[in-house]
Amino acid sequence: MSPPVIAKHSVRLTINGEAYEGEVEPRTLLVQLLRDHAGLTGTHVGCVVGECGACSVLVGGALVKSCLMLAVQAHGCEITTIEGLASDGALHPIQEAFVSLFGLQCGFCTPGFVMASFALLSRNPNPTEDEIRRDLSSNLCMCTGYVQIVEAVKEAASRLQQWNSGENT
Amino acid sequence: MEQRREYVGRSVRSKEAPRHVSGRGRYVDDLSLPRMLYASILRSPYAHARIVSVGGGAAAQLAGVRGVITPDEVRRLTRPFKPGRYAAGLRVPIPEYASAIEKVRYVGEPVAMVAADTRARAEDALERIEVDYDPLPAVVTAEDAASPSAALIYEELGSNVAWQGYVSYGDVDSAFKNADRIVSENLKIHRYSSTPLEPFACLAESTPERLTIWCNSQSPDVVYEALSEALGLDNVRVIVPDVGGGFGQKIHLIRKYAVLTALMAVKTGRPVKWIEDRSEHMMAGGHSCEQEFDVEAAVTASGEVLGLKIRDTDDVGGSVSTLTIHFTNKLNNLFNTYKVQHLRLEGRSVLTNKCPVVPNRGIGKPGMCFVWERIMDCVAQELRLDPIEVRRRNLIAVSQFPYTTPNGNIYGSGDYQALLDRALVNVGYHEVRRRQAEQNAQRDRGADLVTSARASRKAGSPPRLRGGVPWLAPQQSQHPSSPGSNVTHYIGIGVVIGVEPGGRNAARDMAIFPQSKQMPGAGGVEGATVKIEKNGAVVFTLGSPSCGQSHETTASQIIADVLCVAPERVSLTSTFDSALSPWGISSSNSGNNFHLYDVGAVHGAATRLREKVLTLAAHLLAAEKSMLRIEDGVVYVGRVPRVANEQPASGPAVGRVPRGEREEMPSGPVVTFAELGKVAYANQAQLPPGFEPGLQVTYYHSHPHADPLMLPDAHGRVRAQYTFSSAVHAAVVEVDAETGRVRVVRYVIVSDNGTMINPSVVDGQIYGSAAHGISVALGEGFVYSADGQLRTLTLLDYGKSTTLETPHIEIEHYPVPDPFTTLGQKAAGEGAAIPSPAAIASAVEDALAPLGVKVRHLPLSPEHVWRLMSGRT
Repeated sequence: MSPPVIAKHSVRLTINGEAYEGEVEPRTLLVQLLRDHAGLTGTHVGCVVGECGACSVLVGGALVKSCLMLAVQAHGCEITTIEGLASDGALHPIQEAFVSLFGLQCGFCTPGFVMASFALLSRNPNPTEDEIRRDLSSNLCMCTGYVQIVEAVKEAASRLQQWNSGENT
Repeated sequence: MEQRREYVGRSVRSKEAPRHVSGRGRYVDDLSLPRMLYASILRSPYAHARIVSVGGGAAAQLAGVRGVITPDEVRRLTRPFKPGRYAAGLRVPIPEYASAIEKVRYVGEPVAMVAADTRARAEDALERIEVDYDPLPAVVTAEDAASPSAALIYEELGSNVAWQGYVSYGDVDSAFKNADRIVSENLKIHRYSSTPLEPFACLAESTPERLTIWCNSQSPDVVYEALSEALGLDNVRVIVPDVGGGFGQKIHLIRKYAVLTALMAVKTGRPVKWIEDRSEHMMAGGHSCEQEFDVEAAVTASGEVLGLKIRDTDDVGGSVSTLTIHFTNKLNNLFNTYKVQHLRLEGRSVLTNKCPVVPNRGIGKPGMCFVWERIMDCVAQELRLDPIEVRRRNLIAVSQFPYTTPNGNIYGSGDYQALLDRALVNVGYHEVRRRQAEQNAQRDRGADLVTSARASRKAGSPPRLRGGVPWLAPQQSQHPSSPGSNVTHYIGIGVVIGVEPGGRNAARDMAIFPQSKQMPGAGGVEGATVKIEKNGAVVFTLGSPSCGQSHETTASQIIADVLCVAPERVSLTSTFDSALSPWGISSSNSGNNFHLYDVGAVHGAATRLREKVLTLAAHLLAAEKSMLRIEDGVVYVGRVPRVANEQPASGPAVGRVPRGEREEMPSGPVVTFAELGKVAYANQAQLPPGFEPGLQVTYYHSHPHADPLMLPDAHGRVRAQYTFSSAVHAAVVEVDAETGRVRVVRYVIVSDNGTMINPSVVDGQIYGSAAHGISVALGEGFVYSADGQLRTLTLLDYGKSTTLETPHIEIEHYPVPDPFTTLGQKAAGEGAAIPSPAAIASAVEDALAPLGVKVRHLPLSPEHVWRLMSGRT
């Protein structure tokens, strides 16, 4: 039995502002490219079928579950992962809100929740609790019961507004 | 010197969170080693089959494949696990290996493993492994399995009923003779899991010197023992990095995979990583067991429960290794919060062709609480009494603490009536009742206008009570509900109470298996190391791993208070490493152990280190040790400090004690931790005579109040656990009249977790465990087909609650410090998962009282509730 030959494809994309170029099999998922090829292990795999949201990243600013996208589909795209949110060593206000309001426990779902919150607050800077709960239902957390996550997103909205108005940069 | 509490009791900023929000967590799958291979596992597609042959040759030929392990090799190269304490009841010893050998007994049981250069290639190769199965009849329900004609899952046992036994306390027969009434019910809890978001993960490296495994195990001891036993190795190192949730899932079955991964590393001579995927975890990672209870309560006319008889059937799936794990854990909360003196619990463990069972948040205890709280409601219904009043009549009174239960558990402190009082106020109990009565009246008015098909269908059924509150509205109604009603849902409220045991005592099992040849361990032992570095930084090492419970944060707060430094200067050296961590029998992220054993160890180590600091500082400052004070890592000669307000021994005081008035920093001589560090590690000439160099203390803690009843007495009384938190849960639900969907409108908890070290961390544990119990009650669970195929392979099919189904849980703390623990603390990790299924059941039953519905079985999925409402169960 001859082993199957799998041709590799070259992909070029931008991850957290840096150019990345590599060779992947057609079946390689974006999350595998990020974790195994680019070494960005902050994006996690909890289900690999798009249900848990732990692998959420931004592709061209849109929230994407990176287990549902092939790496070759991301060719030419700008990707932002959890590692790309902090700037100059300072946590992004959303990250800071998750820390100060205990919006996480084991941390495995956290990068996904932070990215989903980032996408939500980019669209809707001042969401109600219902809106937060509806939006974040894309992600699963087994530890927190969501209460402190929702509180963290509310706090993040408030911090982000201050941050954007230059009061707390 | 005064012990201060500046940081204990405060929601001090999390030490773990900054790395997790930045993607800097380090889980097993984030680690790589040079020349590392990736493994993948071939699993059984059958629930029950004989393995005729397994051929790995074609898979091994595939390019990039470096190793194949078949059942023959597992049998040849490894030894079976020794039966653990949860298999103590086995009639004949049954060797269990890391993979299936001659038979598969559940869908997903591991059969073979492949390692290759990439994970994808390893998965490709699985398709080339040739397995010849001879399918056998699948035995899927406990009822079928217990039938004498059922196919045998383990032929050597002669029956699928693998264990039967009982415990009995008090004089149960007399209690039943003296009863005015016997209340009987059949109750069931379904199969579920805690589904940690990070599945099992192992990375093994074998060198001639030792075998090292990085593994997300909650109980490294289980993996350590398993590797030693199975592979015959005496130099094993177990490292547990960040763990993506445990909840009990990562205690037992993970040892199989640790052994297979390690065997592959030995065989290939290369590091091997194996990461489980979600569907593998759902089918083979371990489930809670399906439990059925036939319960009889002996009660007086006034609602006092004199005694309880329970016959418990546990469906333990297709393995004998955790045969009695759910039964034995019921000893931990056998009497819940009640002063009942007579109880008999019979158990039987039935094997089925389903996933083996493992602990889940609270294991066994949610079932026991469900029994008690459902029975309290049943008693109230039968006697037409208020369910809250029935509970009040049976609660242990505040004056009875410390209280010893008939089976030997000692409840240090508590105030159950007060918890109930607060919960009723917080949930607005009477207002809910008023709204409910109003709505039911409205519905009945609507019903009078319409001829209800449903009512006519049920014409033969006995008259039902109207209103959700039988004792408030005793009128009868023939037309309880109707499609003509303009009310679209039913409102109900359930109020339940439960204890949360903490701090494991493994000797508990000897009360059930007195014939055990070997004591399974008794009491607890756990270590911690606290060190002041040469530069004055304070670092520590815990004896146990963490799975997200903020152990670094809370331990730092304790150390900060004892050593009088800011928590920012205190940090964890590393996560668990068996070669470095001071570990003992209690070094497990399970059993609600941390609050008792790790806190005791950290506090003890810090206290002893403080003595070293003061001894050295006194020598350097030429001062009396008793005159020294420490402030922010600086030791100086101060006046005798004023006494801080002492925390009362009991009563609802919050953990934080105000500091005594601070004194001004003196102008006299001082010495900093950094200066002490330089002397302690580098300058023998400046050390006091007899002073052991260095500023490091390793302290092993055991519970100083572990006796009496650490070991079972002649009556089988033993302390199953050592601390007992308690909580009242009040749930308000709306049940959709058309679909049966249950929405939790309010969820109020009043909780006594003793002295809280970090209230926000405790909140997080309560929110999370409550949310899990609520999700379980509302429908999360495993479903098997009649031929033993698991139908719930994904989290979506399984029905895990999201932000939408999970209510906004409200907590009030009512801490009554424990008189026997280091800081008055009690457990908080499992608690709210214990009463929450009962709370939802109680609320749904209350809501559907107008329909005469009785809730006896979980889960309350829309389908099940709809069937209850339609009388189609």
